Amino acid sequence: MSAPTILDITPAPIDLNQLQAAITTDADGAVVLFTGTVRGVSRGATGSNITTKLEYEAYREMALAKLGQVADEMRAKFELIHGIALVQRTGEMQVGEPTVAVAVSAGHRGDGAFEAARYGIDRLKQIVPVWKKEWKPDGSSWIEGDYTPEPKDVPAKGLPARAQ
Amino acid sequence: MKIKLFATLKERAKAGEIAIDMSGAMSVGTLREAVAQQFPALAPLMQQTLVAVNQEFAFNEDTVQPGDEVALFPPVSGG
Repeated sequence: MSAPTILDITPAPIDLNQLQAAITTDADGAVVLFTGTVRGVSRGATGSNITTKLEYEAYREMALAKLGQVADEMRAKFELIHGIALVQRTGEMQVGEPTVAVAVSAGHRGDGAFEAARYGIDRLKQIVPVWKKEWKPDGSSWIEGDYTPEPKDVPAKGLPARAQ
Repeated sequence: MKIKLFATLKERAKAGEIAIDMSGAMSVGTLREAVAQQFPALAPLMQQTLVAVNQEFAFNEDTVQPGDEVALFPPVSGG
């Protein structure tokens, strides 16, 4: 069965309804949709931090290839899921705007769609070359991730993704 | 050899692309050292910098050939 797979790195606003429709087939009874949004207030031990906007930059060609790898891994780990959408927006985004969307369709809600969506966003944040710059009232700075890829994160080199 | 830069590295180098002198194939580890030497502004970042060759993560023991697409960038922070 060929299930829809939508992968995109785009400066355009993410249309969540369109995305859901695009990955839903006649065989689907469940769609899980995750979106990350720009958080304006981050509460921590030392008080609240204000974010005014985020700016995203991508290495687009590689990012698209890595989104494909994430989708492949999702299908290998969660065999009952059908459609997958992985969309990362780039450019400037204001508080409350969706920055990323991960959507998964399946025949039934128990077919792994929730787990696959969780895996998809976690994995995207590890291996897809995209970076965010945070703008605060007193300046801006690039955020750096905390994951260092290893040979096992390269399908052709390390263990196959399905064996991880 | 041309090298693409992203995020912090691009900002530090004030360029989205740099070029280093390269006579033949070299290891990714040697490439890191060459960038650090030829672009002192990037040297403090090279330890934690990720390297991609032909749009795939590459590691110090891997080989870079003339003509490969090479990119340097910090650990990713999308989502």
